[in-house]
Amino acid sequence: MSLKTLAATAFATLLLSVPGAAFAEAWTYADGSGTTVTVNHVPTRIIASQDAAAGLIPLGIRPVGIYADSAIADAKALEGLDLTGIEIIGEAWGEVSIEKAAALKPDLIVGEWWPLDNTWSGGADVVNALKPLAPITGPKQGASIVTLIEDYEKLAASLGADLAAPEVAADKAAFETARDKFKAAVATKPDLSALAVWAGTDALYVAATEGSSELMDFASWGLKLIDPVIADDRGYWETLSWENIDKYQPDLILVDNRSKITMETAKAQATWTTLRAAAAGQVTDWPAFWLRNYAAYATELDKLSAAIAAADVSIGD
Amino acid sequence: MSPGGTSAGLPPAARAGGFVLLAVALVVVLALSITVGARPIALSDIWNAVTAFDPTQTNHKIILDLRLPRTLVGLLVGAALGLSGAILQGATRNPLADPGILGINAGATLCVVLGISVFGVTQLSGYVWLAFLGAGAAMLVVYLVASLGREGATPVKLALAGAAVTAALTSVTSAILITNVQTLDQIRFWQVGALTGRTTDILMQVAPFILAGIVLALLTSRILDGLALGDDVARGLGLKVQRGRAMVGFAAVILAGAATAAAGPIAFVGLTVPHLARAFTGPNYRWILPYSMLLAPILLLGADIVGRIIVPPGELQVGIVTAALGAPFFIALVRRRKLAEL
Repeated sequence: MSLKTLAATAFATLLLSVPGAAFAEAWTYADGSGTTVTVNHVPTRIIASQDAAAGLIPLGIRPVGIYADSAIADAKALEGLDLTGIEIIGEAWGEVSIEKAAALKPDLIVGEWWPLDNTWSGGADVVNALKPLAPITGPKQGASIVTLIEDYEKLAASLGADLAAPEVAADKAAFETARDKFKAAVATKPDLSALAVWAGTDALYVAATEGSSELMDFASWGLKLIDPVIADDRGYWETLSWENIDKYQPDLILVDNRSKITMETAKAQATWTTLRAAAAGQVTDWPAFWLRNYAAYATELDKLSAAIAAADVSIGD
Repeated sequence: MSPGGTSAGLPPAARAGGFVLLAVALVVVLALSITVGARPIALSDIWNAVTAFDPTQTNHKIILDLRLPRTLVGLLVGAALGLSGAILQGATRNPLADPGILGINAGATLCVVLGISVFGVTQLSGYVWLAFLGAGAAMLVVYLVASLGREGATPVKLALAGAAVTAALTSVTSAILITNVQTLDQIRFWQVGALTGRTTDILMQVAPFILAGIVLALLTSRILDGLALGDDVARGLGLKVQRGRAMVGFAAVILAGAATAAAGPIAFVGLTVPHLARAFTGPNYRWILPYSMLLAPILLLGADIVGRIIVPPGELQVGIVTAALGAPFFIALVRRRKLAEL
């Protein structure tokens, strides 16, 4: 073997032995804020907001760190997900531990883009803390949870997730079944009207459909949601004094289930039962603002379908 | 200047007349509080709600289950705040004394926050005992700290100890709330100070304490008139200064603790009302106390009624209204009178 061939062989061996370094494909993603993020390899060490984690984990992408809006036990979006081995680097809105985040050596931060507030999940403080560590990206909050989940599917696939994996496919199939059941339940009760609320000790807050992606989904699948009169120029809620809560009389009341206290508070009010649907027990959960994956969506839709099927439509106005 | 002197306020003969006028005004406000609310209800309906209650009638339910307890809680809380402010100002000879300055509100708030975050208390009726416990513990600590040293609990030491304890408790409360959004969500409405959502249960829980506190507070007028002359003169008059001050403190804790438990920490009423009362009565606690007891619920319920109709179909909580009205009112009062004359 000549010296020349030896050198050539050595060079070729060298080339083959360094996969994923200089010759790895760069990863790019066009995100919800309208920018395209580029990383020179496929990111594997991801820090995710609680909502992004709830979108990615069921698709097989496990972040190394999560920053939550509240105590992790109270994060409704993460309920039921296996978080073992994932570091929690923030448990209050707008707060994140920079030391913990840096120690995780992230190569990507995934949050959600809030077009109305023009910022990522967690707000400016979190963005400023995390941006120096790795690029921040993610899907956009919009008019549908389904679209949002599909955005997570695209993101997860680009990060190497196998969307055809049996458990992933099963979640999606369960959702599609639940959605069809929901549509069918609504179709058999065309006159049913629903009202989505949050109950405080001070007042009952009635939600506008366009303020929440899942309510817009429900409406697009045929559910008739009562839209409140919003006095404020900003915001998606009508505030009703507990003296005035019978302003609307729906057939079915959806109560925000981010915290179970909301339902207890509603039931503790003397006038709660002046809503005829409340008196008749036609009250169910509203999965308010937290749905990010097919499995959770399927569970919540099944509850709603059952409530719709059981509802007496002559109760409301 | 002697206690009961005529250096300020109405002439002595007119004071009794003024008291009767206030009582009439209070009755009017009570009636308004039943009849005026976020939902317009006809007087005939209100009459029927009382005489022939029909639980299927929304209007009847609103009158008996919402407005009546709310009004009675407002009456008791108002009287408690006014009296506790007046006796605290007298006992500490501090014109700025009120339940807020002696750690009572801060203690009650911390206990409620702990109850929510650690013990998972979720409803208003559960807050009552916590607030009570916190108010009592805070006042006890303030009193013990102020009592250290040879001269005992002097007014200045009470005010300083109260400010220090308030600062310490408030920082603990903030530390819990910052890390616990759900607790913050729950306590937000309580912390504003409100009469909304106060049910008959809550009324029944605090009523015995407030009524006992009112009796006890009214009995302290002789001690307070003595203390107004300074500790030494009071001792010379044969008053037991330390024991008297402890009795006043005890009455104040019962009153302010129960008021805070029922309605949350309401600002300015306890601070402002005694000064307003003094404008009519002069420096005589035998009159300041009953005047404060009537004036405070008039103001509190008046503010609550304004809050009910100002932002339909919602409501503005009374704590916000009293703060918004109380601040300028208090500044005006300070500018008109020399408050340091205690």
